[in-house]
Amino acid sequence: MNGIHDLGGMHGLGPIVVEQNEPVFHHEWERRVFGMFLPIFATRTFNVDELRAAIERMGAPAYLNTSYYEHWLHAYETLLVEKGVLTQAELEARRTQVAQENH
Amino acid sequence: MAISPQQALAAALAGASARIDAPVAPRFKPGARVHLRNINPTGHTRMPRYIRDKVGTIERDHGVFVFPDTYAVGKGEKPQHVYLVRFTAQELWGAEARSNDELLVDVWDDYLEPV
Amino acid sequence: MSIKHNRPLTDIEIRVKALESLLVEKGLVDSATLDALIDTYEHKVGPRNGARVVARAWVDPAYKQRLLSDGTKAIAELGYSGIQGEDMVVIENTPDTHNVIVCTLCSCYPWPTLGLPPVWFKSAPYRSRVVSEPRGVLQEFGLNLPDEMRVQVWDSTAELRYMVLPERPAGTEGWSEEQLATLVTRDSMIGVANVQAPAK
Repeated sequence: MNGIHDLGGMHGLGPIVVEQNEPVFHHEWERRVFGMFLPIFATRTFNVDELRAAIERMGAPAYLNTSYYEHWLHAYETLLVEKGVLTQAELEARRTQVAQENH
Repeated sequence: MAISPQQALAAALAGASARIDAPVAPRFKPGARVHLRNINPTGHTRMPRYIRDKVGTIERDHGVFVFPDTYAVGKGEKPQHVYLVRFTAQELWGAEARSNDELLVDVWDDYLEPV
Repeated sequence: MSIKHNRPLTDIEIRVKALESLLVEKGLVDSATLDALIDTYEHKVGPRNGARVVARAWVDPAYKQRLLSDGTKAIAELGYSGIQGEDMVVIENTPDTHNVIVCTLCSCYPWPTLGLPPVWFKSAPYRSRVVSEPRGVLQEFGLNLPDEMRVQVWDSTAELRYMVLPERPAGTEGWSEEQLATLVTRDSMIGVANVQAPAK
């Protein structure tokens, strides 16, 4: 795919910003997203190439405006629904429930 | 069904290599000049656009691996050789690029044709 | 275990909690497994591993040869192996060649030796620029290379994972492997820095 992820040689993407003594994870949610990687893979629902492809299918604006672990989260949600492990309705219902419990 | 902590740590340590033990013949040898095919797939590929339609030299044959372009879309592993290909900076970026800089990129056999 | 927040959750936190709780409910993942993996990659696996590999190569020429000819096997001699490091290639910096690594297409990085990659390595500015203007990028990192030096940029497009063996700095003669390892930075094993000579 001639997608936005294929960044080699592009211009205009801004300065390289380096955070000194950067922590491995910046948020607790990032930890959980990382931690899910291997267990979800162990279910053999999808392979790593499908994961990368799902990230590439995010589209350019979404890809550039979301952070790295949000890319992984998008791929998990997309593939788990496409492969029939979860339904979009289940995800949305659970989100509503979580939001209400933590209001 | 959920993988346990011990199983997960063992799996992390073992890894999951994409190498395939299959008797697939390489189409190219180190030293060969190769042309990166001018492909425009709408699906997943690991050929970056900046090497598309460019000429390089086979530096190394890494062996046989899964082919992501097919494996990402349910079309099978299609085992084939992956090569390290050397490009000059000028080949990729033009005559204004440094004459003594080079790029090394891993490419699958299917991406290549002979020069 | 749920953490009590004194503020509403952000959208992304809601999405992540929802996903984890659904997967747990369906018996597909175990939260304790997530905890163990997080702990391993946050606290146990990191660039100190790669630093030990580099230090060993500096003191033991036979090990260095093994490292350069079969990176995976030589790195495993020190006990480092696994996911995102199954097929390792180590490339050495020399007086005439400087190497730097990138994954332009995503974020491929050798986890067993370097841990998880820093944000800048995975971000658009580095991924886009280091292949077309490596010397400019290296200068921004504080590394000014002489014109005569060749720069090689390695783009990890496949499942091989690359690591730089930086040059051993002057002023370290007679140092132990352990002491040498303290000098080796993550950035020197990516190739955006060299290993600094010890202060006199």
